[in-house]
Amino acid sequence: MNEKLSAMLSEAERHKLVDSPVDGKGLMLLFEAGLVRLTANQPYVNSLNVFPVPDGDTGTNMVLTMQAALKEAEMRQSENIGEMAHAIAQGALMGARGNSGVILSQIWRGFARALDHYDTMDSALFVRAMQEARNTAYKGVVRPVEGTILTVIKDMTSAAEEAAKRGAALHEILAEIVRAGDESVRRTPELLPILKQACVVDSGGTGLYYIFEGMLRFIEGQPLDVSTVVAKPLSEMVLENTLESIEEGQDYEVVIDFTPTDKFSLENYYSGLSEIGTSIQVGEGDGLYRMHIHVPLEKRFAPIEYTEGLGTIKKVAMENLQDQVKSRKDEKEPIKLAPVTPGQIAVVAVSPGDGISRIFASLGVAAIVTGGQTMNPSVKEIVAAFENLPTDKIIILPNNKNIILAAQNAAKVSVKNIVVIPTRNAPQGFAAMLRLIPDGTLEENEEAMLEAIQEVHTGEITTATRDVAIDGVEVEKGNVIAMLDGKLVYSNHTLEGALFGLLEKANLDAFERLTFFYGEEMTPNQVNQLVDQVREKYPDLDIEVHEGGQPYYQLIIAIE
Amino acid sequence: MTSQENPLGRIYILPQAIKSVARHSALQSYGVISLAPSNMIEAIGQFFNRHNNYGITVSSDNEGIAIELNIIIEYGLRIKTVADSVAESVKYNVEKTMGIPVTRVDVHVRGLRISNPD
Repeated sequence: MNEKLSAMLSEAERHKLVDSPVDGKGLMLLFEAGLVRLTANQPYVNSLNVFPVPDGDTGTNMVLTMQAALKEAEMRQSENIGEMAHAIAQGALMGARGNSGVILSQIWRGFARALDHYDTMDSALFVRAMQEARNTAYKGVVRPVEGTILTVIKDMTSAAEEAAKRGAALHEILAEIVRAGDESVRRTPELLPILKQACVVDSGGTGLYYIFEGMLRFIEGQPLDVSTVVAKPLSEMVLENTLESIEEGQDYEVVIDFTPTDKFSLENYYSGLSEIGTSIQVGEGDGLYRMHIHVPLEKRFAPIEYTEGLGTIKKVAMENLQDQVKSRKDEKEPIKLAPVTPGQIAVVAVSPGDGISRIFASLGVAAIVTGGQTMNPSVKEIVAAFENLPTDKIIILPNNKNIILAAQNAAKVSVKNIVVIPTRNAPQGFAAMLRLIPDGTLEENEEAMLEAIQEVHTGEITTATRDVAIDGVEVEKGNVIAMLDGKLVYSNHTLEGALFGLLEKANLDAFERLTFFYGEEMTPNQVNQLVDQVREKYPDLDIEVHEGGQPYYQLIIAIE
Repeated sequence: MTSQENPLGRIYILPQAIKSVARHSALQSYGVISLAPSNMIEAIGQFFNRHNNYGITVSSDNEGIAIELNIIIEYGLRIKTVADSVAESVKYNVEKTMGIPVTRVDVHVRGLRISNPD
């Protein structure tokens, strides 16, 4: 069709199209040029299609819609631009295929409406037609999604308006439209996150760009049917993917480095790849090409076989994306706090570490404030934790003797009814939580909790930060020290020694159970070795081990 | 109600949840101006409550779910194509977010909005 177009117009005639108002015949030539250009890039546009449904047919749909539009125009053959524009709009409407086709038909419908009753189109009318095209396109949807063809027609129109204000001629306005369209297409991933995740620009917007770019190229006498698909420089390829939204069924990511043969055509390569998978990217640097694609499981070797026929493969990398998504999800689940219904009692716990927070959450705590030894939360932080809870009955568990005062002050500054249970450590907090009756009164809960914290004894093991002698225990800086219910009871050079010293002092005969919460400095292996020794020495006790994640304290031990 | 088994128990997805996904996806679809009440009871309910549950019916069986949409389309668009796209987009989005196969999407075009008669 390109040859037909060039044959139809001599250089002089082409200039006439540039310099004088466009008539019906000229409009049709411009549209034909747009279609030729779009058709040349159809596979590329198809490969970009991820939104709204990733079915890879945007380019095809737009081409079919444009073909229907031109067929109608060819039958009309009028010198009058208004009539021709209406024929184009009518054809596009009847032949609209796919979402992008429908939007395109709506664009031409608005375009045609502005040209009603005109014989020719000058620059002012061209701008008006663009404005009408944009307005009509936006009328077709109640919740316009930006970063699509709609954004591109909007940006193109703004550029046309600007150019017209400067008194630009028709072909200068068209050049501005093409420039703005290019920029707008490049910006679409910023506006529509799904495009960014798939590392593509919007397909419909790109299609629209090619139509206008074809018109401009035609006027400027540049070839139309060469594909402009260019490989990006290797450095510009962004291959790390946001894993949250991998397309359905596209389980594998394949990246291939290769050097192509002389006959290599990037456009054909793209169209071949677009039949295999999605999120296609090709980068080029120093004769080396890098291809990136997402493919379904059964097609994971297809890109390799396909590329093998076109060049020499240097390197292949393949990753199972579904598995990556899964392992990332396994990493760390957010802590799930108990929901509070109005009128119920909500408990706020201060927690020194992630593991302890999780245990509190599993026991039904409604809010957690991070804090502990040497990182006391402020009154404000404590208040902020419960202020927005939908109840006025609050219990605070400070879980550290240095935080009890802040908790009491928080109770004073808030208008809610607040009880502070003076828990001095996490095990006391846990014991209190076990007695929680969410639908009970504050008084009965307080009573039950105060009783509970008397029943649990707590051992803590940490490292001394200075030399000291307290309660007859001499401590050197760096020693491992053991505390029972907050009192220093033993000091030793090793963790093991301190632990057994502590257990000795705790008079374990009177108790049934030990629960160990190990701190952030401890590995599960170390803990298990220690606990095995404890089991051997005290076979009658139930022993449980949990990750506490608290800093400074290697071990916190609940003794019940 | 649609349910799926997992190792800890069953997951139930109520029609209401499916409707809200379908609704959002339908309204984002080009050419769809609004949903329309599918019968008089819905119309009266909408008039008094202004709730937005009208226009979508969801039913399910062992095969998956079937969705019925009642929509108003912008005048001047190819109705069949708009209906095709909205059906496709609703099916895609419901399957993607809910993980349940959609076996049918029926689209009833209840009216056209004429903003430009040309």
